[in-house]
Amino acid sequence: MIHLENVLFTITLIMYLAAMLIYFVFIAAKKDAVSKVAVTVHIAGLFIHTAAIVVRGIAAGRLPLTNQYEFASAFAWGLSLVSLLFIVKFKFPVLGAFAAPVTFLIIGYAAMQSKTIHSLMPALKSGWLGVHVSTAIIAYGSFGVSFVLGIIFLLRDKLKDRGFLDQHIPNKEKLDLISYRSAALGMLFLTFTMITGAIWAERAWGSYWSWDPKETWSLVTWIVYAVYLHLRIRRGWRGRSAAIFAVIGFICVMFTYVGVNTLLPGVHSYA
Amino acid sequence: MRFAIVLLVVLAIACSIASLVTQGQSYEWYAQRYSERTAALIIALRLDDAFHSAWFIAINGFLCLNLMLCTLQQLPGLIKRTKAHKLPSEMPDAQAEGIDDPEKLFVKLGMRTIVRGEDGEGRETLFAAKNRAGIWGAFVCHIGILLLIVGFSLGQMTHGEFTAYGVPGQTRAVGDTGLALTIDDFSIGLREDDTVEQYESKITVTDLKSGASETASVSVNNPADLFGMRFYQNSTGWAAKVSVLKDGLPLDSAVVCAGELLPIKDKPELIVYFNAFYPDLVMVSGVGPSTASGQLNNPGYLYSVYYNGELLGMNVLKDGEVVTIDEYTVAFSEPQSYTLIQIKRDFFAPIALAGGVVTLIGLFLAFYLQPQKLWGVREDAGWTVSASCRKGGKLFKERFLNAAGRKEA
Ligand code: HEM
Repeated sequence: MIHLENVLFTITLIMYLAAMLIYFVFIAAKKDAVSKVAVTVHIAGLFIHTAAIVVRGIAAGRLPLTNQYEFASAFAWGLSLVSLLFIVKFKFPVLGAFAAPVTFLIIGYAAMQSKTIHSLMPALKSGWLGVHVSTAIIAYGSFGVSFVLGIIFLLRDKLKDRGFLDQHIPNKEKLDLISYRSAALGMLFLTFTMITGAIWAERAWGSYWSWDPKETWSLVTWIVYAVYLHLRIRRGWRGRSAAIFAVIGFICVMFTYVGVNTLLPGVHSYA
Repeated sequence: MRFAIVLLVVLAIACSIASLVTQGQSYEWYAQRYSERTAALIIALRLDDAFHSAWFIAINGFLCLNLMLCTLQQLPGLIKRTKAHKLPSEMPDAQAEGIDDPEKLFVKLGMRTIVRGEDGEGRETLFAAKNRAGIWGAFVCHIGILLLIVGFSLGQMTHGEFTAYGVPGQTRAVGDTGLALTIDDFSIGLREDDTVEQYESKITVTDLKSGASETASVSVNNPADLFGMRFYQNSTGWAAKVSVLKDGLPLDSAVVCAGELLPIKDKPELIVYFNAFYPDLVMVSGVGPSTASGQLNNPGYLYSVYYNGELLGMNVLKDGEVVTIDEYTVAFSEPQSYTLIQIKRDFFAPIALAGGVVTLIGLFLAFYLQPQKLWGVREDAGWTVSASCRKGGKLFKERFLNAAGRKEA
């Protein structure tokens, strides 16, 4: 089982790398047909990635969402899933060229973590934890897409090439809207993640909110996206300011995810 | 709203700074960790307990006030818009002229209930709206946040929290609640690989006034509710039997948890303190006593003795060994695990939870029920149909133009 998971995980890594390179070729060669290949490889990668996660779940006899390796892999899965949803829904393969490198970085980070399956400490044995982490994956994935769209938005002005890329990247108004759609999805799921996390913490530790650094940072992230939502309501602040907040928001997500565990102490440190 | 954004940014910055400072330490601790000047600054700014400081509460107070006023201000407009059923006077996001069969277009865009009427100039009109509840999203979300903050704050102000620990057979008072907690049983479930699967305590709680009692089993992630309080399996530790002899005759014996002290019965100024327990004692040079595993292979008891508050000595005893102080002999034996139960009462937690759920519903309404309107006016050259969507106008516009068979200008 573990061997099978290793094989599937390695194939996933290669597929994501391949998808990323093909997206680059699509932009360099300016050929629409290439983008179809990239998206297909990306989708195939997601399927194999799903299989790897399922196999690990079966081997461990539980949801494989409880240590740094498992969560990093799931994070990459979420980003891969949400970016594909947006690529397909908005017919926007250029998004893949920006999202795939981020996905690859995260799964690369997963590859560097220990893959040993540990048995769970009692506090982690909770259905609420499963819901908590599953929704976090979708939230993080959505914020990742919003971040990538924010970057594309900010780079759009710098584009010298007025031909191919200009046609393949939606105009700013639409970019802003797509970024809003993904941040909104992320916000909904982050809120759900925080509520289920609070319910779980209350049952496991007797306190639903204790200002532990990870909790505090997820609140900071939540507030940053709340600011993003309000910025967009004013016409003048839509677009550039909102794009900057989408980027800051994802930096907070990454800090909540990696920074807090390594830099600050707290009950979440084992995760 | 500009003020709200400023407040939210300030709150985010405040939280991030507070998260960088370890909370709840003393001036001395910070002085050692950072510098005396930084420590003085931390204490002066209350960064040692930032989340309960006056400035943090003030930011949240302003936020609530602002939110409340904003929400109230919005209410009349929202009610009006919900009731409105006539042709909008707003500028449409998109328009298509010369449509022959407007109803088909309405249905294509998911508008089923179509209201017919006439405009001021006597022309036939059609109107339909979808996802009207969506306009309430922000309102519902803000109410949820208010509930959440209020529920959390009231809980912080009024909650009661106690702990009780002991080994099976012992009874402890639950703070000043008039309840007594008896530990009937405590077990640690181990897996084959010696890791802990679960800690479980069987407890009986008695109301000392009425004499009524209830029993329950509590384990990690499975608290129990008894007499309006919630009982949690919090942690565990070691206890041992301490036997005291005087002139070779038994004087006293009691189960003492590591971290507790035992005054000698007929000489209370003499105290034996049970510092720590090592189930598999090893002496590590430079570190001192330590344990090689969690197994009871070689029990070691670290104790210290005080006389009138002054430390007389400290050492490690093993099973069967004794320490003699004048006519008294003290021995440790029968190590066992004790359980620590945390007891809490927070009447306002359900309000905070409700706030969270309401916030979530509000977000869903705001994001996924996008109020859309379609209206048409019959003109000589066919129907002119207009579309508007308060949010995501651009995407709706595309769908509208597609459905109407028009290309975007
Ligand atoms: C002092 C605090 C706040 C004030 C005064 C405030 C005020 C406002 C106002 C005036 C609107 C526009 C309503 C409309 O266009 O219908 C709005 C929208 C919104 N607010 Fe707030 N807000 C505050 C905090 C928050 C927070 C903490 C959140 C958390 C997520 C939040 C979530 C939303 C959402 C989801 C919308 C709708 C945005 C959209 O549809 O894109 N608000 N807020």
